[in-house]
Amino acid sequence: MTGRGFDRPRFLVVVTALVYVFLFAPIVVVVLFSFNGARSLQVLDGLSLRWYEEFWQDESLRESLIASIEIAAITTVVATALGTGLALGTMRSRTRTARATGLFLLIPLVTPEIVAGVSAFVLFAQLGVALSLTTVILAHITFSISYVTIVVRGRLASLGPELEEAALDLGATPWQAVRLVTLPALWPAVLAAAMIVFALSFDDFVLSFFTTGETPQPLPVRIYSALRFGISPTINAVGTLMLLVSLGFIALAALLPRLLGRRESGVAVLTGSRTA
Amino acid sequence: MTGAFWRRFLVPGALWLILFFAVPFGITIAISLGQATELGGVLYGFNPGNYADALDPLFAPVLLRSVGYAAATAALCLLIGYPVAYCIARYGGRYKQALIAAVLLPFLANYLVRTYAWVALLADEGLVNNLAGEPIGFLNTPWAVIGGLVYGYLGYMILPIYASLERMDPALIEAGKDLYGSPRQTFWHVTWPQTLPGVLAGTVLVFLPAVGDFISAQLLGGPDTYMIGNLIQQQFYGADNWPFGSALTVVLMAFLMVFMVFYLRGSEARREALG
Repeated sequence: MTGRGFDRPRFLVVVTALVYVFLFAPIVVVVLFSFNGARSLQVLDGLSLRWYEEFWQDESLRESLIASIEIAAITTVVATALGTGLALGTMRSRTRTARATGLFLLIPLVTPEIVAGVSAFVLFAQLGVALSLTTVILAHITFSISYVTIVVRGRLASLGPELEEAALDLGATPWQAVRLVTLPALWPAVLAAAMIVFALSFDDFVLSFFTTGETPQPLPVRIYSALRFGISPTINAVGTLMLLVSLGFIALAALLPRLLGRRESGVAVLTGSRTA
Repeated sequence: MTGAFWRRFLVPGALWLILFFAVPFGITIAISLGQATELGGVLYGFNPGNYADALDPLFAPVLLRSVGYAAATAALCLLIGYPVAYCIARYGGRYKQALIAAVLLPFLANYLVRTYAWVALLADEGLVNNLAGEPIGFLNTPWAVIGGLVYGYLGYMILPIYASLERMDPALIEAGKDLYGSPRQTFWHVTWPQTLPGVLAGTVLVFLPAVGDFISAQLLGGPDTYMIGNLIQQQFYGADNWPFGSALTVVLMAFLMVFMVFYLRGSEARREALG
């Protein structure tokens, strides 16, 4: 191609490369300096694991990591179940209630987290519910349901209601049709949705900030208070560990279907490629 | 299978959203009309003064600034996100999946940690200033805050644009060339209109969370660059003025809802115009 502008790959490749540098520079800094032998955040001085040791010896940080994994896991299970139900209901039922619900559940998607955080905070305060990990989980589930519904609905649209009709013709009861036909066909989209929810919940700061109690706090909230008292390189170690947890979970979700002998991975559904 | 059968699947999720999403927002509206007591509690009533305060010349600039920063963020994300999406979709070949995964990878690292890493990079004695030879003084400027927002939400722009480029039929570009369109003409008359839905989706996905963000302004900015999110957070932690904080929250939400209505109307009208 010999043209100008966007059709000239060289210009595009340079821009793209610069964007990748921009995206990865802070990550590289975090990971690299988590192994720094010195306290400095500017100069690398030998490699060591001392910041990971420091993290491990800090019992409250350790508890926060476990709390965050717990929050994300419970949120993922509950939000995926509720969201999948909403997807089935809004896609397959043609009633007015279903259509209204379909519109209603778009609102959480366009709500900034701080609005959801404030709302959850005043709800619990007015009900007299003490803030704890449970209130964090309730807020996370609320915010995650719509993401699940959107992802699963995309898949349901491509399946069409003929699927269940065929099952009924073959003598299945409606419930059997859902359990034996619809849900297995939805499985990759459900996994993809679960992946998104886990990553969002595990990383979430704003909702957690407004709904958490004293101890143990979710890890991002702990990081926030640590940052206010000046930075310690331990934060880099924590950041690196959080990245590993998210990556590990996504690898698991991507590999699970393959391990179970299925063709499509959740990742393929997310990126839009349908081939195995 | 009837509508009534499927409607049952709605019940748990819909109830959950009413109980934990709609009701709490209703309480926020109620509190926004109340009065703060001296102990930091809330006295319910009808007190629209909180809204007058929110739009007061003292605080209105904060709202305007938030909208301005978010709009600049969306524009910059589009400007740098579109070429990236285009490059991956057109020239990625068999590395497409890996390249898109690489775009998303940084977003798995915690937003606070990532943003703080920029503080280390941009500080006066930081790496970027060392490379530049002299301290440029990035931090505490609007550009640092907007840069932090771009960094935080760029992925939301690249993904939908990439998806719309992938959905596009490459034969259309060939057709444009066969009709003697220059590459530039082909881009603006064929590719760009085809990917407009992705561009609009990306713009909304970046703009909405950016307006309410308070991390970027808190870590990379200073008091002069505070956004509405910072102001709201202060009312609940520190200032203990829940009614005012709730009023700001409702104003933010109302503004975004109006924005969304115009956006949806606009995309509807465009779809009709295209037939």
